[in-house]
Amino acid sequence: MGATLAYVFGSAVLAPSMTRREPLWLPASALSALSEGTPHPVTLRIARQDGATEAVDRRVVFLVRAGGTVRALDSTCTHLGCRTRVNADAGVIECPCHGGMYDLEGQVVSGPPPHPLAELPTRIEGSRVLVQV
Amino acid sequence: MRARVFDWLDVRTGYRAVRSHLLDERLPGGTGWAFTTGSVITLLLGVQFLSGVVLAMYYVPSPALAYDSVLFVMRSLPLGWLVRGLHVWGASFIVVATCVHLLRVFLYGSFKAPREVTWLTGLAAFLIVLGFSLSGYLLPWDQKAYWATTVTINVARGTPLVGDLLANVLRGGPDLGALTLGRWYAAHVFLLPAILVVFVAAHLALMRRHGISGPIRPRPGPRVPFFPWHVLKDTVMMAVVFASLVALASAVRAPLDEVANPADASYIPRPEWYFLSLFQLLKYFPGPLEPVATQVIPGLAVGFLALLPFLDRHPERRPLARARLPWTIGLGLLGTSVLALTAIGLGDRPAGKSAGDWGLLPIAGLELATGENSGCVRCHVAGGPAAPLAATGLRRDEEWLLNHMIDPVAIAPGVRTEDDRPSRMAMGRFGAQAVVAYLRRNHAGIEPPPLDPSLRLAAMTYASTCVVCHRISGEGGTMGPDLTLIGRRRDAAGIREVIEDASMVYGESSMPRFKDKLTGAQIDALAEYLASRR
Repeated sequence: MGATLAYVFGSAVLAPSMTRREPLWLPASALSALSEGTPHPVTLRIARQDGATEAVDRRVVFLVRAGGTVRALDSTCTHLGCRTRVNADAGVIECPCHGGMYDLEGQVVSGPPPHPLAELPTRIEGSRVLVQV
Repeated sequence: MRARVFDWLDVRTGYRAVRSHLLDERLPGGTGWAFTTGSVITLLLGVQFLSGVVLAMYYVPSPALAYDSVLFVMRSLPLGWLVRGLHVWGASFIVVATCVHLLRVFLYGSFKAPREVTWLTGLAAFLIVLGFSLSGYLLPWDQKAYWATTVTINVARGTPLVGDLLANVLRGGPDLGALTLGRWYAAHVFLLPAILVVFVAAHLALMRRHGISGPIRPRPGPRVPFFPWHVLKDTVMMAVVFASLVALASAVRAPLDEVANPADASYIPRPEWYFLSLFQLLKYFPGPLEPVATQVIPGLAVGFLALLPFLDRHPERRPLARARLPWTIGLGLLGTSVLALTAIGLGDRPAGKSAGDWGLLPIAGLELATGENSGCVRCHVAGGPAAPLAATGLRRDEEWLLNHMIDPVAIAPGVRTEDDRPSRMAMGRFGAQAVVAYLRRNHAGIEPPPLDPSLRLAAMTYASTCVVCHRISGEGGTMGPDLTLIGRRRDAAGIREVIEDASMVYGESSMPRFKDKLTGAQIDALAEYLASRR
């Protein structure tokens, strides 16, 4: 009896914890809209099933064009997960929470972040830039 | 080393005394299977508690989401259907097990002095279990939930003097809605469990205080310890009941109707089987006599049960002995009446809208919504401005849905494009009703009947013509006769005659002649379908 209950109820409780997010390729920007070397913040709308409801997540990525290729940096600070922002005047990406600083390539310049900003895979299709999230 | 750890623990907690208190009770000789009914109830309560906790993780107590969250448990959550099945069928099991337990206690005279209070706490726990059942079935927010609760609250409103106040308290206001769902949910998951725990704990403590009553004529010899022999009997009995519950929950999906629709007055609510006797009783006391069925008779029945230990006071325990016979007959009559009323209630199924019956209107809706000329898929596609029809919820009220079908562009903000003219009627009122009727069934996962061209033709003809006056399975106009069971009164040829020219059949008739307005194929399809409705 105990085993049956543990199996049935355990499955129903733990199953959602085991699901993984499917990787998605989302169109992020037109290639012509990006200027060389400057991070360009783009908000991606990701619709997903959220239990019985549907939720739309917003994720900000920084697109940096370098010649024919585009890099995409996740805007999430690697320290404690705050949202970083581009400070174009100072030429850095900064985190408002604990003063972490990254350069425009996403490398840590100063402050507590342990790693560079995460880089997301990108792909160019015709004139459009796609980012995998 | 091990012994020292347990010694240490015992000195600090005294657990050995507790264990000995729980297991080493001496039972009267011959205490047998009849004394396992209480353990079975304990097991079933445990299953309800655990499955309830799991359901509560996913359930959302709001009218907009309650139904979809239950659908999520049933369809998307691994083994979720089984968890809900255990909870739904477990509720019925508890009602049965409690009745069996009560009967056993009565037949063995186990409630006699000094166990009167044990009986009363058990009776209170039984009423709380019924309270669980009542509050539980509003929660899925399907048609049955909504309309059965409407009836329950109207029953409460019939209470003399405080009826209106009571109904408003139960509803959380003058209307049944979000506030009602919130308070019934809170009662079901917080209030009732807390009260039940108190009464069950008191019941068990009193049972231990007075000891098990044991057989009427105990076997001579020394008393036997509870552990291991009676524990074994308890365990075997619990395993049998548990296996039956799991088997039932696996074999029969817990039912879920269409999403609640306050605008649909054609739904005929029927309560769970264990309230059917009360439901049936209500029919015999119409109008001002209603409180007799809803308050007086149930009150007398509960009062009789509560007073039993004080009426049936003779130390004699045999149920058929002369001193006890009147009370045995009394309880027998009560039980027989409940069973008889339940049986009559089960047999008495009024013709109304039933969940599996598609009728014609929803089939026409299916054609309109998914057929070749459907305008819905313009927006309702994966990646489009609206979710695909299969995924879209029905969270708006009936009026919004109908208006959206009639003029999709006008009512959904942001969908209008520059190409659209100011207002474009996609379909008429009856077409919209057809589509909404289809979507409700589709959303509830009710399979359509096999669709052949003749049925499609009949459905589209009905939805454009007959629906104005005639009702099938709760949907359609009421000016003409209800056609739900027309096949019992006329065969296909007879129906064709009426459609072609009703005046020829009935003499004077307000039904128009359709011989020239409908094609022969349309009339044939309608006559064939209607004749099959019996």
